[in-house]
Amino acid sequence: MKILPTFLLAPAALALGGICSALTPGFAPTGFLDDDEEDEAAVAEEVEEEEGPHWLLLEGGDIFTGTGAVLRGADLLSKDGIIEEIGYDFWVPEDAERIDCSGLRLYPGMVALSATSRVTQGSFAPAGEVEQPGYDPSLDVPAEDGVDIWDFDAIDAAAAMTEAESRIAEAYDPFSTYLILTLAAGITTVEQSNAAVKLRRYEIKDVVMREGFLISLSYSTADSRRRTRADFALASTYLRDFRAWEEGGKDGDEPSKKGVNSSVLKILMGDGRAKFNADDRDELLAIARLAQEFGFRPVIEGCREGWVVADELGRAGATAIVSPRDRRWKDELQVADGGSSIENAAILHAAGVQVAVEPLSGSIDLGGIAGRDLLHLNIDAGFAIRGGLSEQAGLEAVTIVPARVMGVDHRVGSLEVGKDADVLVTDGDLLHYETFVQYAVVGGKLAYEKSEELFYAHIRPLPEREVVEASQEGDVEVEDADDEGDDEDGDDDGDEDEDEDED
Amino acid sequence: MILSTVTIGSLAWLAPPAAEPVPDLLALRVGRAETISQGTIENAVILIDGGQIVIVGEDLPIERGIPIIDLPDAVVMPGFVNCRSRLGLDSRAGTVSDPEVRVSDEIYPRTSDWTDVLEYGVTTIGLYPPGRGIAGLAAAIRPKGDSVDELLLADDCYLTMYIGADRSAKKLVRDAFEEVDKYMEKVEKAREKWQKDQDKKKKDDEKEAFEPPVPEPEVLPMLKLRTQELRAQFSISKAADYLHLLDVLESEADVLYDIQIDLRDDLDLFYISDQLGEAHTRVICDPEIIDHPGTRRARNLPAELHAAGAKVAFIPRSDSVTGNRDWLEDVAHMVAYGLDRQVALRAMTLEPAEALNVGALVGSIEAGKAANLLIFDGDPFEAQTELTAVMLEGEIVHGELDQ
Amino acid sequence: MSFLGCTHLAVAAFTGLVALAPAARAGQQGADGEVLALRFDRVVTCDAKDTVYDPGMILVQGGKLTYVGPPIDAPEGTELVELEGWAIPGMVDLHSHVVTDGWGGINDMVLPANPDLSSAPTIKPSNQQLRLACASGVTTQFLIPGSGTSIGGFGVLFKSKTQATYAECVLADPGGMKVAQAYNPERGGGDVGRTRAGLYWILSRVNREAIASREHGLDVFHLRNLAKVHAKELPVLIHTAGSDGVTATVRMWRDEFPTMSVLSHGSFDGWTTAPYVARMGMPVNHGPRTFDTYARDGRIVGSSREYVEAGVPLFSLNTDAPVIPAHELFLQGSMSARQGLDSRLMLRALTIHPAESFGIGDRVGSLEVGKDADIVVFDGDPIDPRSHVEHVWIDGELQYRPSVHGQWF
Repeated sequence: MKILPTFLLAPAALALGGICSALTPGFAPTGFLDDDEEDEAAVAEEVEEEEGPHWLLLEGGDIFTGTGAVLRGADLLSKDGIIEEIGYDFWVPEDAERIDCSGLRLYPGMVALSATSRVTQGSFAPAGEVEQPGYDPSLDVPAEDGVDIWDFDAIDAAAAMTEAESRIAEAYDPFSTYLILTLAAGITTVEQSNAAVKLRRYEIKDVVMREGFLISLSYSTADSRRRTRADFALASTYLRDFRAWEEGGKDGDEPSKKGVNSSVLKILMGDGRAKFNADDRDELLAIARLAQEFGFRPVIEGCREGWVVADELGRAGATAIVSPRDRRWKDELQVADGGSSIENAAILHAAGVQVAVEPLSGSIDLGGIAGRDLLHLNIDAGFAIRGGLSEQAGLEAVTIVPARVMGVDHRVGSLEVGKDADVLVTDGDLLHYETFVQYAVVGGKLAYEKSEELFYAHIRPLPEREVVEASQEGDVEVEDADDEGDDEDGDDDGDEDEDEDED
Repeated sequence: MILSTVTIGSLAWLAPPAAEPVPDLLALRVGRAETISQGTIENAVILIDGGQIVIVGEDLPIERGIPIIDLPDAVVMPGFVNCRSRLGLDSRAGTVSDPEVRVSDEIYPRTSDWTDVLEYGVTTIGLYPPGRGIAGLAAAIRPKGDSVDELLLADDCYLTMYIGADRSAKKLVRDAFEEVDKYMEKVEKAREKWQKDQDKKKKDDEKEAFEPPVPEPEVLPMLKLRTQELRAQFSISKAADYLHLLDVLESEADVLYDIQIDLRDDLDLFYISDQLGEAHTRVICDPEIIDHPGTRRARNLPAELHAAGAKVAFIPRSDSVTGNRDWLEDVAHMVAYGLDRQVALRAMTLEPAEALNVGALVGSIEAGKAANLLIFDGDPFEAQTELTAVMLEGEIVHGELDQ
Repeated sequence: MSFLGCTHLAVAAFTGLVALAPAARAGQQGADGEVLALRFDRVVTCDAKDTVYDPGMILVQGGKLTYVGPPIDAPEGTELVELEGWAIPGMVDLHSHVVTDGWGGINDMVLPANPDLSSAPTIKPSNQQLRLACASGVTTQFLIPGSGTSIGGFGVLFKSKTQATYAECVLADPGGMKVAQAYNPERGGGDVGRTRAGLYWILSRVNREAIASREHGLDVFHLRNLAKVHAKELPVLIHTAGSDGVTATVRMWRDEFPTMSVLSHGSFDGWTTAPYVARMGMPVNHGPRTFDTYARDGRIVGSSREYVEAGVPLFSLNTDAPVIPAHELFLQGSMSARQGLDSRLMLRALTIHPAESFGIGDRVGSLEVGKDADIVVFDGDPIDPRSHVEHVWIDGELQYRPSVHGQWF
């Protein structure tokens, strides 16, 4: 006895039948679709139905916007992941999700440079993920004939799908323990393999904000200096000729792009930033001169002896990525000042250099040694302040400056209307060692809640406070929201919490 | 409950109209039948003809002349369906990724493993091809027979696929669907050409039927996924993989698929149980209580998945003869830890049968289905209970039916 | 010393130097016969009552503290130096390997037990790491051999003076013995001792030999110092970790061989045995690992907190420098406070607790009359990384002052 479903007897023929019918309008799937599966389809349709905007209100916290302003007991409203309002007594839709932040502080999510794949993939770096020190020709975007170099979109598109980007987006794990811990540490954006990754929880869409923005160059050896300088000279000449040609009504032949390094061109057009890994005084000086000569603003990671040549770096418009605790002894044979200095960040900042602080280690150490990994970026900022940096510059060094380094400062790095609602709600000064992130909001959604995760819930728990979930009704009717009543509640809670803080 | 008398006459519709039937009838009267499809029936009567179930009901009167096996203390349920196994096949992992590979080409009929697991009540085995990526087509076998034809219950049961939070895995699937797009373009062009040809013809000319070009063999299974003539079984290894699967299938809304995942400690599948539940997705997993990540807090994920609305199909914890032997006991463990009994029974029978696309043939005690029955001397989930007999398509293949 | 050659800063800070010239001159006075009189916004004494003076005053003479308390009139002829900030006792690190300015020379991996070795010959006084430690407020370190063998030898209790000779820095030589009882010595170093049983046997045997030599009045050269450990004349610091290692250590050094012993590390799941350690009265010198993810209930367990809450006596913190740089000892306090512990208690864990548990509580660890004038001045919470060290005196001698020397750390 053989019982075979009929369609299996002649699969090819039937499949063709299926195609024919698929091409006919009004094709209804037949085959072995049973009732349940039709339900499945129906459910899927329901899910796709349009929903109203998602509102999140963080109520009554002290808002440290990261731009220097502090709004005491203010509200922050996010609409579909974008900050809609910051301030007092503005209209809030009734169906907004609300988090009572009274007695707490709000900060922009921190931006951590040089994170390992552990954060985004829940694992150690897979084979192949290596830092690319120095110049890497593979990063060059091939110059295509006929591409208008002023067509930024075309150039972007060509550069967009770098290996790093597609690897990170396609491997992103929004559920990993390491991701939760990173959010718990107050980091909502990381740089990994030259991509700025927004640490979204529960979803994988739109995690890579920008990639390939930094163009790694090496300027450490005589050879690399000669080559890099030549690239800049050629690209610069080409750019000048091209502009002249364009301004002159495109008379005559278009200047030849032959031999022009497109990455360097990108740097000169300000569409990417040159990044160097350099520590030596001499090398830093050489970079500063190169930058001034060709008119670009270099990003310099390491920059340990930067304090010695801070003025030159400041004049070159440099951004330094420093790790304030990092030790480097002075070269005994060098007459000039040298070696690392705890004051590096402060001296650079005073000279007009943008200073970003990166963690001592980009990975997450669960082996028991605390204060030296990605999870303690605020501590590293603290060491920069120890060296004389102001509190505000210290905060900026882990928020807006690294966001600028990645070219995503229009979206993250500070709390401003129109930017992404990536917000930390803390129980104290973000840079203090006892402070915990109570809530982390990423893209307007609650991504971390200390009391709800196992890791730190047992440490200095706050009295339970209210998280009002968004009402299920999509009704966004404008009504006179009972704001006053809410404020009263908020104030009461706030008093309790302040008592708690003083204990 | 259908109140009818079990009679020879009532079977007339089954018989070919020409020849007078000599039905190979047998009535089984048991204490309790777990039919799966119609719930639990006390004092059940199951009439079997020529390997197929003809009717099942409570206390049905049985016409004189039909042999009756009376087992008032027995509990009967459908034979187990193991929908994902490499039992009796080459244990070396394959490395190819080719949708057109058929596991049925691998079958070597004289494998003793299959008859071994038959003794433990596994009456249907779904075999899947080795390989990675898009690994090929699974087949369902009845674990008894001397030739491939005899063994094969159904072929092309599902397309074995692996997906993960991994660029290359996602690309593989996307590329495969792109091949389908290319083929469809080809079909469209051919149709346009055909249409033009038709238009050119005069009224009296004979019209030709449109014949689409024949797809490449590796494109065909992917095409059938789109036309829902085939379902996919995606193996994933963590919750994030599912989101990446949804990402890949974003423009392939019609594809029917099940999810297969090995349960293990620290698995984070609970993050997506609501999503799986809302979509009523079938999840094929092993009966295992696991630890919540970073803890020793036990979680019964299959029970959670069921509660969320997902369908659960179990496969043995180990893909071996002993794994199949311990399967029932492992599922009983899940019941002890809160999984609904009926869900557990269904997860070993009808759900895997449907995952194998043989739900119309096996997996429940229902008229028209194969008489694959397991006869227990008590509740199947009780430790002392013994499997006294196994019936495969009406034939006792293991144990005896003592009256 | 080149690292500290930050002339750039020193010049920049010269104005400050002029303004504070009396203090700088005064710094030279405390060491000899003259009196150094200092007034602070706050003096955290870390004494038995944890007294804090807001404001407070300190008098120093002959390298010792002669007055600690509320402000009084400075002795006649002495200029009172008024300073903002907090004065705290110099910090004490009982587990530091920066003897030679780095890793070298900390273990001879030939014999499994070396009770006659000493770290003294390898010490490079005022090496860069010691100077950095000083600049962070660490004034006393137990500079020890490594943990490669069961008994690495004897370490030296050493002051982190920035420019001094060996003799001027020594607080005690030998300062105590260093034992390693789990993990590291299993990696080899001798023929036996790759198992816990073998390790236990090695230690047990050599301990019994030392006790026997003492009981029989024999002066066995290589057991001389070990015999002093068993006479409780010298302390012993025991590297151990894991719950099994910790219990074995407590059993051996508190029960089988009652000694002045301090349990060091106690890492991984060692904290699970904290109640036992507390019951046996064994001080714990915790670090460099201060948390554990082994708990399996999902908590990130602050192991410092577990030891403290179990009631272990004289809980202290270490760096195991250079695992954690010696100058970041205070951060061990911050990270432990973050787990939920009181930050003032953590300050004690960095000062008086390690001193008392190692038998040098009469010399260092608190600001009390008669003790060494090891004073550190911070401009705020001493365990906040953002705070600055503004003055460091050791034995009444000014060692470090960023406004003069430039900021080292």
